[in-house]
Amino acid sequence: MSEQLGDTGIPAGVPAVPGGVDHPRVGVDEWVASHEGRREAQKGVTGALYRAWDRIPAWGHLVILLGPFAIFPFVANEGNLFRYGLITILYALLAMGLNVVVGFAGLLDLGYVAFFGFGAYLYGIMASGHSGHHLQAEIAIPIATVVTALVGLLLGLTSWRLLGDYLAIVTLFFLQAFVIFVNNANGGPSDFSYPFVGKVDITGGANGLDQIDPFNLFGYHISTTKQYYFFTLISLAAVMILLYFVNESRTGRAWRALREDPLAAEVMSVPVNRLKLLAFMFGAAIAGYTGTIYGAVQSGAFPGDYDVGLLITIYAIVILGGLGSIGGVVIGALVVNGAPELLRSSENARFLFYGVLLLALFVALRPWYRPVIVLLGTIAFGFVVHAIVGAAWSRGTAGHIDGGGKVGRALEHWVLLPTHVNRIAGWAYFALICAALVLTLIHGWWRTLALIPTLYLVAFVWENELVQQVSGATRLILLGALLVVIMNVRPAGIFGTSRVEIV
Amino acid sequence: MPLLELKDISKAFGGLKVVDRLNFHVDEGEIVSVIGPNGAGKTTVFNLITGIFHPDSGEIVFEGRNVAGLAPHRITKRGIARTFQTLRLFLNMSVLENVMAAQYGQTHSTSFEAMLRLPRARREEREIRKVAQDKLAFFGQRLAGYRHDQMAYSLSYANRRRLEIARAMATGARMLLLDEPAAGMNPNETLEITELIGKLRDEAGYTILVIEHDMHVVEGISDRVIALDHGVKIAEGSFDEVATHPLVIEAYLGARAAPEAEAV
Repeated sequence: MSEQLGDTGIPAGVPAVPGGVDHPRVGVDEWVASHEGRREAQKGVTGALYRAWDRIPAWGHLVILLGPFAIFPFVANEGNLFRYGLITILYALLAMGLNVVVGFAGLLDLGYVAFFGFGAYLYGIMASGHSGHHLQAEIAIPIATVVTALVGLLLGLTSWRLLGDYLAIVTLFFLQAFVIFVNNANGGPSDFSYPFVGKVDITGGANGLDQIDPFNLFGYHISTTKQYYFFTLISLAAVMILLYFVNESRTGRAWRALREDPLAAEVMSVPVNRLKLLAFMFGAAIAGYTGTIYGAVQSGAFPGDYDVGLLITIYAIVILGGLGSIGGVVIGALVVNGAPELLRSSENARFLFYGVLLLALFVALRPWYRPVIVLLGTIAFGFVVHAIVGAAWSRGTAGHIDGGGKVGRALEHWVLLPTHVNRIAGWAYFALICAALVLTLIHGWWRTLALIPTLYLVAFVWENELVQQVSGATRLILLGALLVVIMNVRPAGIFGTSRVEIV
Repeated sequence: MPLLELKDISKAFGGLKVVDRLNFHVDEGEIVSVIGPNGAGKTTVFNLITGIFHPDSGEIVFEGRNVAGLAPHRITKRGIARTFQTLRLFLNMSVLENVMAAQYGQTHSTSFEAMLRLPRARREEREIRKVAQDKLAFFGQRLAGYRHDQMAYSLSYANRRRLEIARAMATGARMLLLDEPAAGMNPNETLEITELIGKLRDEAGYTILVIEHDMHVVEGISDRVIALDHGVKIAEGSFDEVATHPLVIEAYLGARAAPEAEAV
């Protein structure tokens, strides 16, 4: 009997390794395995890019991701270095910690930015004109980091009994409690009276804790944006390396196991509760550390900085980059912080707008010749409309594109730009929404053809209405659209791997 | 002295007594099957032994020490590992990682050592990988080399069952509790799993307690069979003794219509 068992289910002659001369029979183990592989293999340019990325060793990823950041200070001016550079890497560093809690261990922590605040306030209390203490940074930073980690441990205790939505609510309470505390702990009338000492000004209340000292590390003063930039960049690189090693160790595997199935992990000898605390501590320590840098950079800690808005931004970074991916966090920070800053100029916004439109066209329409037809059709349609309107109603083409450039001047010959546009643009906007609704109702070639005037209408509305408000509402609409597109193309995030929940 | 001994174990969920003063033992090197109709309390017994539930009363003695009331990961560390009736693999981890993760209790390097790649962490990491490959090699072609880096969710059903056994082996346990290892398998795979369980004892030296519904498997592997119904042990002995025991037949097929019942 035992002789037959070795090849049960597989007829003789089928090789154990798929891709051999004979292909495995449909449905047997080997077929199932290779079928999954086939389904996962990505086609086209993006697939090739991701595969190439996977072949690069880990240190190569680090160089590719952080190399441009290292060069950036030498090509950017002070203002850009702060807005694009320093803030992005601070976000990336902060999101690294959240990635441990949410990405590695799968614990939904909505109180995370409170730890960021803890770091900033603790550093401010130890080294600022406000508190009157001026501790050296090499002492104050470790103390702030360790104390924040211990607070993380306390909050992590709630995760022993709570998971998912319930943990989220409790940690969100913690964040709110933190914000309310720092808003009121200024020794004022609404403050607590502490045992033994009475009312004390700890955080400066709503006005914030000001005059925080710049870093003074072993007598070396860090004060310029560039110095803070490099300090943060080195910290980011160090944290990425350390987290990479932890993630590859038994601790990292245990976190993944507990994320996948806490009960199975526990039964497979993983002390689940201890590892949850460890994840919270890692996250809190990184957030606290980042907070000390942020406090020193801002030379102050203000309650409004550590609010739900920041929490959502940091979550967006982690999710966009791909939960659990260290490199993804850097890319996520770049997109989430970089994009809205870039979109302040109408030229950049226009570039992104048409770029996303083109990309969406080519992603959504199959086969390849449909988007080409739509594109050429739209261009031709535009010139025809422009010529007709130009002949019949000269005011209709007399306007100018603001923020010109070459593309802008070319567009002036294509899109209608009436002077005194207000009312027309409003109606066009309305018509565009109707057209979009109609598009969802029709199918096949009719939809493809209807796309041509609709796209022209989109361009008309954009050039005459939206681009005027680019530094305001449009910027945020575009950012939202960009995030929607990215998450649709890569549902698990840019560097995420799609997870299978039930098979 | 038996390897595992349950002494007067009881467990109730609210008013429902799921396990009622249960006594049995498993000797070193034995394969013992637990049978019984659905709802008899078999899986609850496994959950009690592995610490997922704590017994209301009684003792669970393993290697001479009472393990009742310990956390599951501590019991596993003492040497009892299990598989699940409804598979609970770490689906989004690779096959090798599944087995590596189960060695957490066997290793000691801290996250600090891992972060700084200190010697002990590196050495342990090599050992973990080696042990994981060894455990998978036990299943021959089924979980061979090229599969190690595949995600667990891409495995077929039968291979997932094998991977669960490999994962339980990797915990370093002396005793395996297998919860319906042949459930959902085709006849060929069932034969294969029957042979595998024998191999686990004969070649790898495990003591095995197994829940199984397939009587061919039970007959093929068991040194001893324990029959449960309503949380009470109704029979114990060789397969033939238990299979012909009137209480077991009654539990599975219902009581032959008794005269009193007809009268009512």
